[in-house]
Amino acid sequence: MTAPTTPGRTDAIRAIAAKDFTAVRRSKGVIIPMLIVPFLLLVVLPLGVGLAARNAHPPDVSNMVRSLPGGLATPILHLPPRERLVTLVDGYLLAPLFLIVPLMLAAVLAADAFAGEKERKTLEILLHQPVPDRDLFFAKLLSAFIPAVAISWIGFACFAVVVDVTAWPVTHHLLVPSKLWLVVIFWVAPAVATLGLGVMVRVSARATSTQEANQLGGAVILPLIFLAVGQSTGLLLVTLPVAVGIGAGVWLIALWLVARGARRFTRDRMSRTI
Amino acid sequence: MDAAIHTEDLTLSFGAEKALDGLTFDVNAGEVVALLGPNGAGKTTTVRLLNGLLDPDGGSSRVLGLDPATEGHKVRGRTGVMTEQSGLDERLTARENVVFTARMRGLSATAAGKHADELLERFGIADRANHRVQGFSTGQRKRVALARALLHDPEILFLDEPTAGLDPEATRDVLDLLANLAAEHGRTVLLCTHFLGEAGRLCQRMAVLHRGRLRAFGRPDDLAANIWRGVPVELDLGAPADERTLQALRAARGVIKVESTPTGARVDVEERAALPPLVASLVQMEVPVFGAVPRPPTVEEIYFAIQEGAE
Repeated sequence: MTAPTTPGRTDAIRAIAAKDFTAVRRSKGVIIPMLIVPFLLLVVLPLGVGLAARNAHPPDVSNMVRSLPGGLATPILHLPPRERLVTLVDGYLLAPLFLIVPLMLAAVLAADAFAGEKERKTLEILLHQPVPDRDLFFAKLLSAFIPAVAISWIGFACFAVVVDVTAWPVTHHLLVPSKLWLVVIFWVAPAVATLGLGVMVRVSARATSTQEANQLGGAVILPLIFLAVGQSTGLLLVTLPVAVGIGAGVWLIALWLVARGARRFTRDRMSRTI
Repeated sequence: MDAAIHTEDLTLSFGAEKALDGLTFDVNAGEVVALLGPNGAGKTTTVRLLNGLLDPDGGSSRVLGLDPATEGHKVRGRTGVMTEQSGLDERLTARENVVFTARMRGLSATAAGKHADELLERFGIADRANHRVQGFSTGQRKRVALARALLHDPEILFLDEPTAGLDPEATRDVLDLLANLAAEHGRTVLLCTHFLGEAGRLCQRMAVLHRGRLRAFGRPDDLAANIWRGVPVELDLGAPADERTLQALRAARGVIKVESTPTGARVDVEERAALPPLVASLVQMEVPVFGAVPRPPTVEEIYFAIQEGAE
């Protein structure tokens, strides 16, 4: 029998992340909710808006646009009436809503990776392996972060295709990606995913099942709802500088939460909860 | 002989409750020791402490010369564990579960796959290797869990309730496997169980825990000698001993205690040497003696005697 060598740190981290990814892929209860929300937000919604805009008599959003702050309203009101709906919804209003996708994905995957191990009674045997606490923690983080961001980016690519294909006959130019969208996708979305992970790591330490973790961590979505409502009512206008600032703020909070989670993630603490 | 495991006054509390209270014992290299006790006695806690999962509140331990509290990573590299719950991910196949652990333990993907195949073949689960664990029976899960615990050829094997939830046939199969494992390579085994029969079959020494405290530790014969005086002997007389026979037995030299049984009598003698004259005297009385067998107490009898003393 061949005795294994001492595991390299990256080998163990990769093994854990790959195992979690394979297991989640096979879990319909996890994968279906993970795909339905992005599909509705990033495909069905823009498809409906695009088709509505191509209608001979598209909905007139001028009055709604006029109620928004000038910085957002003026450029849209300068557009031909047919372009206003797609530009308003696809170009601006959906950006904060899109952030629900990485947040939700990260939260669901983190709940499965941390609380799910307890629920499936697989945590103890994992703790009995010669993988340092810190590596175990980061493997679990990566197993949630990488798919959450990857699916968000793939979802965004689908969104861009749907928006541009459906809106092209109306706008005759590409609506997405805009500078705002690029900041949201590559700066804010990973930050929001990390925030979701940070919250779920904390919550999962106490929860005994994924359902309990999701219930306890569900409140993390509230700031995004406020952001989306603020954007659509004009209370908060997410312009390019605001998006950069929000991203920076979220990164700070998220990294603080993750660092705190890493400090508290010890075998002794985990073993006392199983 | 070097102690593979040594603990000194090991103590751990969960809140106000003492899970382990001053545990001191040792396990020699190549020895099979059973850790016995009811649920909540501290068996699983002991394994978790010895493998560096829990930090003790007091006392110390050495496993293969290493301190699990500070060198847990190194300890876990040299030990294998089979937990009460098999701990297999039901969404993965048997092979994937074993390969995953092998990868975590530093094997390359190719070596992990080859190793997993060999072990699953050895434990008779090769035909189910590529099936998801979800549909496996408890016995099949235990086999996969055992294969996983052994894949790095550990020097110490911690087995926590290895036959819990198994039917009698599966129990026999797993015990056969464990007996072979204990015998080969001089592997040290710490067997946590509340199934006394399997402890009696596999262990050389037994430690009896009760509410976190070690109540007794040693070879079953030695423990029995501390509890009972003399050697119990089963006399097969073909029928319950009559009053005349019982009186003769009580009067014989070296006899401590006599009880009638459905097939004859049970006699406690001071030493084995007292047995031949006893049988001779019965034959002289024309009492038919079909058998006279010294019967040392079973692990079960010893265990219950210790637990009753602890209550």
